[in-house]
Amino acid sequence: MSSSDIFDVLNIKQKSKSPANGPTSVPSSSAANRFKPQVTGMQRELFNLLGENQPPVVIQSGNNFKEKMLSTSRPSPWSFVEFKANPFVTLRHWVKGSKELVGDELKESPYSKFNQHLSIPSFTEEEYTTFMHDTENQEKVQNDKNPNDSTEIGKKNDNKNWSFEEINYLFELCRKYDLRWFLIFDRYNYNKSRTLEDLKEEFYRICRNYFKTNNPSHPLLSSLNFSAEKEIERKKYLQRLLSRSAAEIAEEEALIVESKKFEMAAKRTLAERESLLRLLDSPHSDQSITQYLTSQGMSQLYSTLLADKTRKRKHDPNIPENPWMKQQQQFAQHRQLQQMNVKKPEVKESPSPKKTKRQRQEMQTALKRRSESAYAELLLKDFNSEERKALGVITHGEKLSPGVYLRSTKLSTFKPALQNKIFAVLQELSLPSRPVMPSNDVMERQEELVKKINTLIDLKKHVDKYEAGMSITK
Amino acid sequence: MPPSISKRIKTLSVSRPVIYGNTAKKMGSVKPPNAPAEHTHLWTIFVRGPQNEDISYIIKKVVFKLHDTYPNPLRSIEAPPFELTETGWGEFDINIKIYFVEEANEKLLNFYHRLRLHPYANPAPSTDNENENNPPGRNAKDAEVSSVFFDEIVFNEPNEEFFKILMSRPGNVLPSNKTDDCVYSKQLEQEEIDKIDIGIEKVDREINELKQKLESLVKEEATQ
Repeated sequence: MSSSDIFDVLNIKQKSKSPANGPTSVPSSSAANRFKPQVTGMQRELFNLLGENQPPVVIQSGNNFKEKMLSTSRPSPWSFVEFKANPFVTLRHWVKGSKELVGDELKESPYSKFNQHLSIPSFTEEEYTTFMHDTENQEKVQNDKNPNDSTEIGKKNDNKNWSFEEINYLFELCRKYDLRWFLIFDRYNYNKSRTLEDLKEEFYRICRNYFKTNNPSHPLLSSLNFSAEKEIERKKYLQRLLSRSAAEIAEEEALIVESKKFEMAAKRTLAERESLLRLLDSPHSDQSITQYLTSQGMSQLYSTLLADKTRKRKHDPNIPENPWMKQQQQFAQHRQLQQMNVKKPEVKESPSPKKTKRQRQEMQTALKRRSESAYAELLLKDFNSEERKALGVITHGEKLSPGVYLRSTKLSTFKPALQNKIFAVLQELSLPSRPVMPSNDVMERQEELVKKINTLIDLKKHVDKYEAGMSITK
Repeated sequence: MPPSISKRIKTLSVSRPVIYGNTAKKMGSVKPPNAPAEHTHLWTIFVRGPQNEDISYIIKKVVFKLHDTYPNPLRSIEAPPFELTETGWGEFDINIKIYFVEEANEKLLNFYHRLRLHPYANPAPSTDNENENNPPGRNAKDAEVSSVFFDEIVFNEPNEEFFKILMSRPGNVLPSNKTDDCVYSKQLEQEEIDKIDIGIEKVDREINELKQKLESLVKEEATQ
């Protein structure tokens, strides 16, 4: 199978064989022909499959390493040359280039510019005594104002007891090792045994005094205070931190997690408490909700609640829109548009044109209910309250589902856990959970009692929480 | 609004007091002829007015569904008195269905009563809803055990026709004082209200105490 067969299957016209553009295809086919004899066997088959759509970039396979090995060009010369590592030492290293090119003179190492030394003050004994004396006097003047410190400092100096020779020795070492304190401490070999902190403190104290007399505005002066005690303390802490056992580390981590939890819980309880306090502030409503059942009542309630919110709480940016109002507005807009289109003069046929359909519906139902209760009252107008009671007839004026029921089944129920608590309280009050005589009046009182017990339980829960929160924050 | 016959009177409800429950007595050696040998008690379950008034003007029939082990457990009582006497040895829940007269056009009322045969040694008044009728002087063993509940059937928004029937007689009248025959009276009602009022007072007091406690806690925290 050759490429032409595949082209036939795929219904692709081959450029080379189409007679229309024969002349242009000739060179390419000839080029392909030139390429062909080079491949044999499987590769030839492959090339047959590829046809003339050969990849544009010829991938040169093969390893050039051997060729390089075979290259005849001369290697570039390298020479082993002396150079100056520092003013005292000369070393040798390999440099590219022939001996003639490099030259004979000693060259500085390119790294010598990194060989920097600290400038550590040097002084003679007289200078030392004068500047030490000067600053000590100054300090004394300062310390006279608060004499407690001066005695301490005096004591300290007695304990240290540095001679000038030792100081000179210390400064020499400092210069030599560029303030690498561990080296200095290691090499320090004077008659007295000094700790690392002693050395540091003395060095910084003298430097401070030196700069104070010679150059009071030196920028380093502020960073030259060193307290040995603090350093020792720091090291102790570090020691303890590093010598903790794995168990201790684990315990510490657990404690951190625990403390985080506590913090979170405290935050949450605080928030809850705030909301509770806000609840306590707001007036407790015992009124019936009937006045909010109409649309006007509803929107009024909404606006008062909103006003309440903005007054008492932080302003909440995402107060939900009153969906009712939104709908009303949409309705109103819709209506206005319609009016605009129709442009009838008698649009204002209704007494209040701004009322939406829904509002009117609400109005109607409210009116209907009123007429219903009026009708019910009318039916009973011949009976006084005593007679009504005897007949067991009540006009409650509310929307309750019609039908027959047992009075005792209409008592408010709560979630099981809460219900049990309420029963427990009732038992405590030596009252039955179901009144012995569930008549209308009794049930009304019972309902009130149960609601109050509910409030009580809620309040108790919050007080307990509050107390727990206080004990946590303590 | 033209009043039609089947129209419900909105925003109005009529209630009728009713008593349901059972009485039970231990049978001695004298047993009804058809009673099974293992039955030990003779009991009667009933639904009636508090003073045995006629309630057939609202109730068409009462169906008691007994335990499945009884032959023919669905017992329908179609005429007053709405009561059923049986023998038995165990206590069980009896399903009571009250069907109302045709004019009412109401669904049936469905509830349960736990048949009680045995007097309890210490009837706890707070958990037990029943009104103990047992006079203390009598020997507890042969005393008649009774478990009776008072309730009110409330017809919310009855239709016009049924309303007329309901208005035809003062069905909600209770005796003013407690008597041995009928404890359910205005007196008992007032006692109930008084008891609950005392409870409300106690709860109010506790609420106030807790409020003060909370306020003092808040202050304490503010000073910290």
